[in-house]
This record gives sequence, structure tokens and C-alpha cells, in this order.
Amino acid sequence: MAKVIKIALAGEGGQGVQSIAEILAEAANEEGKNALYIPNFGVEQRGGVSIAYVQISDGAIGAPKFVKADILIPLSPRAVKRTKMHAGKDTVYIYDNSLVQEAEVNDNVVGMQYFDVTPPCPTADEANRDMQQDMIAGEPKTCSFTKPGPGVDPADIPENVKKVIACPANDIAKNELHPRVFNIIILGAIIAATEVLPLDTIKNALEIKLGDKFKANPQLRDMNFKALDRGYELIKSAM
Amino acid sequence: MAEVSLQGEQRVFMTGNEVVAWAAVAAKVDIMYGYPITPQNEIMHYWTRLAPKYGKRFLQTEDEISAGFTMLGGVMTGRKAFTATAGPGNVLMQESCVMAEMMRLPAVYVIQQRGGPSTATVIYAQQETQLTCFGGNGEGHRIVFSTSTHQELFDYTLKAFNAAWTYRFPSFVLGDGYQAKMREPLTIYEAAARGVDLVPTTPLVGEAKPGQFKHLRNTYNTEDELYEVVMANQRDWDAMAPKVVEWKDMHCQDADVVFICHGVVARAAVGAVEELRAQGKKVGLFRPITVRPFPDKQLADAVKNAKKVIVAESAYGQFLKMVDLALCGSKVERVPVLRPGIGITTEELVEEYNKL
Repeated sequence: MAKVIKIALAGEGGQGVQSIAEILAEAANEEGKNALYIPNFGVEQRGGVSIAYVQISDGAIGAPKFVKADILIPLSPRAVKRTKMHAGKDTVYIYDNSLVQEAEVNDNVVGMQYFDVTPPCPTADEANRDMQQDMIAGEPKTCSFTKPGPGVDPADIPENVKKVIACPANDIAKNELHPRVFNIIILGAIIAATEVLPLDTIKNALEIKLGDKFKANPQLRDMNFKALDRGYELIKSAM
Repeated sequence: MAEVSLQGEQRVFMTGNEVVAWAAVAAKVDIMYGYPITPQNEIMHYWTRLAPKYGKRFLQTEDEISAGFTMLGGVMTGRKAFTATAGPGNVLMQESCVMAEMMRLPAVYVIQQRGGPSTATVIYAQQETQLTCFGGNGEGHRIVFSTSTHQELFDYTLKAFNAAWTYRFPSFVLGDGYQAKMREPLTIYEAAARGVDLVPTTPLVGEAKPGQFKHLRNTYNTEDELYEVVMANQRDWDAMAPKVVEWKDMHCQDADVVFICHGVVARAAVGAVEELRAQGKKVGLFRPITVRPFPDKQLADAVKNAKKVIVAESAYGQFLKMVDLALCGSKVERVPVLRPGIGITTEELVEEYNKL
């Protein structure tokens, strides 16, 4: 039975967790491996924790979800709390210790699915400014990755895991690159932690996914690849 | 990824909903009738994108009752038609399902189960197993394929149209929200490339020859009249059942313990069997692919040497009832693992085995 690598990513809606899970799974598929990706989807509209489950293997893949992850990556304080059940003794635990401002909503908020709506951009200076203000008056607001928040409570970090790595990806993105490439840093980190795919496969996948945008703005390619390398090196040196 | 097409065959990586839309294209479906509901929305979305390219059509109706009946109208005129729904939408469609049974209309329904009852969750369950097999005021004369992988979702959607138009019973593809939303690789193909013959369609009502009209009845004047029609359908059903029944088994003959699951849960059981076999444990798996007609004799045969069976499903006993009925003459001990509305993982099934 071929080994199946199980990766769970969790973050605030808008952090781009689902996009990188999809890129990762597609890259694995292009590489000739079996890959399975499933988002957790519910009725959250904006905010709330979004989880992506990815499995990669040379053999068959079983159930679409799993209990214990080989690589668990919670990217906000709330995601750390929400994903405790996926941490086990064989889990490499990578969390973002930046100070992220969470959304003002609870996980059980009822509305439209976040899949069916365009969430406001959390990387803008004021996350909700692009929304029609009278439409969202009095409503809970989305998270912001540019405003500092309280950060992860060290007491929430699970103890009995294989390895814990803190990775200030949000801060690096904000201070050194651009808030929008935050998730690409994480993608680089996953590649380093799993060693399941060569970095070039991911670059190729990004080229396919973002090709049009890269063509229009070649700087974007540099920034994305720089973010990917940065995430990769960060975890490589910590592993 | 290269642009997806149905020329010959192609390995693709997509969601289950997209797979269903492509399978409908491969089946040369003329028209889809539908009303949106999560988690099957994207079947409609993809179909509406694909249909114009292939000269096919789509009708969005005002609700699921209407989607079901407009599909029957399309089928009566000889159009290859289907619809897709989930949860409360599946409930609303039941009247059209039983009408299709009674009038022998080759309608095809794709069901992506979500949590119930009523609105409940938009996510996942296997709680529409009984509803899809036996909902409505009929005798459950329906062919129901419970798929487990994206490859099967493609293969059995294609097959559902052929089964419906061959036997003139409504046919169902029973998926779920996980299969709808997850992405995995599969090979899509043109039917001809794999030697699959598409069963031709024909108008079921109207002018057959000049001056000669075909009618279908759905109203009967007396009890006896109704009885004769239902019994004739039952005889056809009994004659058909051995031809369409499908199942898969793994290592059952020497197994002490056999997992029995259907649909996406069977994926977890495959993983559990492989893991436990690697440890030298004598375990097997039996999985009905058609939950209606149910492979009852095949199941009884598969577990005849077993001491225990673990019946796992994401519902509270809907599938267990079918298994119990098939095994009513057997003394094998049943260990139910019943988890309405939540997924079942390989790890959990291994744990259940270790608890025995």
C-alpha cells in the first residue's frame, strides 16, 4: 500500500487557503501522482475558518477526509483552535505566528456560502472598503491581514506532535513582499515540509494558473516565485 | 492543464459535479432540466457552459417539482434528458420519480446527497439512500447506482442513461456532497472510444404511424386495472434485476470480518482492508454498486464464512436495513457504525475493527 501524504490547511476566509490547496493538488496530478482535494464548505459568508484537505500518493487514495494530518497548517489564531483534532503524534505542525486580525463573525454564522460570493479583499488597507457600505452596515466585518491582531495563544499549540514550526508568513508578505502573496509563501512551506513534489512543478502550476496575469505584469511572476522560494527556504532550514 | 475535450479519451482532474456534466455530454444528452441546490449547483453551471458548444439545451424551472416533471415531458418526446438535485430537492422530485416508474419513463436523476432532514446541512450525508430507492407512493422500481470514485461517477452516469433507455425504469446516480465538491483524477472518454454503445432514444407518445397514436396512462379507473399494471412492471423488474445488479468485493472468501459499505464510505473501507491485510488480519469488503436492485444473494455468499460484519454508513441505519434484509437467513453478527451526516475515515474503520 503506497504511502498517502495528508495535508490540512486552515485559515480565515480570504487568506487563499483553498487556492493553494487546489494548486498543490493540480500540480501533483500533473506530476502523475494521485491527488485528492476537498474543501470544507458550509454556509459561512465571510470570515469563519476555511479548511482544505489535500492527499497525495503514488497509489489509491481512500476517504476524502482524514482525522490526523501529516502536515497541519493553521494560519490564524482561530484556525489553530479549530484544527486541534487533526494534530497527532506524526504531525508536522506549521502555524503562522503573525498578528492577524480575525473577522468579527463566528463559525456558525448563517448566510450564503462563501463559494457563492466574492469576499471583500482582506489584504486591502481597509478590508471592507470595496463593499457597498449601506449593504453591510451593522453586519459582521471580514478579517484584515494588514491590521495587527492578538496572535496565536501559545497555550493552543498542540504538544504531542512530531514537530512544531512557527512561520510568520503574513508578516513576511506584508513587510517584505506584498500581502497578496501570503498564501504562496505557505505553498513553498508545504513543498519543503512534504518533499512530495519538486518546486519547479509548483512554479509550472503557477505559470498555468496565473499565466495571463504574469503576462500582463511580469513583476507579479517575480514576486510569486520569490514568495515561493522564501517559504521553501524558511521551512527547509527549520526541518 | 490542456483544454478538456471528449476527443478519444483524456485524463482530467476536476470536481465530481464537473464529471457529471462531462458524462452527460459523453452520453449525448439532449437537455438538462434543473433547479439550483447545493451541493449539486455546479452540475448545472458546467452543463450550461458545455451545452451550447455541443448544440444541447438547458431549462431552469421554478422549483424541483417542475424540474422533475419537465424532464418527464422531454423524455416522452424521445429526448435524452436528466436532472440533478439534493436533499429537500430530492424530496420534492419524488412525485415525478414514481410517475416515471408507473409510466416506464427512462428519466435519469443525479443525486448529490446532503445532510437532512429538511434544509439541514448543504455538505454531506448518505441520508437519501432510502428516499432515492423507495421514495414516493410506488414500489421502488428504480435502478440506483451508488458511486465511490470520480471514475465511477463518469462511468455510471453514462451507464444510467443506457440502463434507463434499455429497461424503461428511471435510473439514479447516487452521489454525495463530498463526491460533488472534491477533485481527483479520472479519465473521461467518448463512448465510441471505449466501445460503449449509446442506447438510441425514441418518442414514447404521439403519432407512431400516420393515424396511429401512442398514449401513456397514469390514471386508472379500478383497483384491478392498477394491480395488473404494477404487477406487469414488477415482473419486468424481476427479470431485469439480475442483469443490472452490480457489486464489488475484496478478499471476502477467507475473511473473518467483512466491511459492508456503499458510496464514498467504501473508499474508507478499501483503505482499512489494505491496512489490516498488511498486518495479516483476515478482513474483506463487500460493496453494492447498485443499492437498488440490491445484490442480496451476492452479499449472503460473500459473508458466508465470516464471523462478523461491520456495516458503516453516513446515516442511521438506512443502508443497514437493506443489509439486514439481504442477510435475514444468516447468523453472522452485525456491528453497525452509523454516523448520520458525517464522513467516515479509514482510521475510524480500523479503530472499529480493533474494538471487536
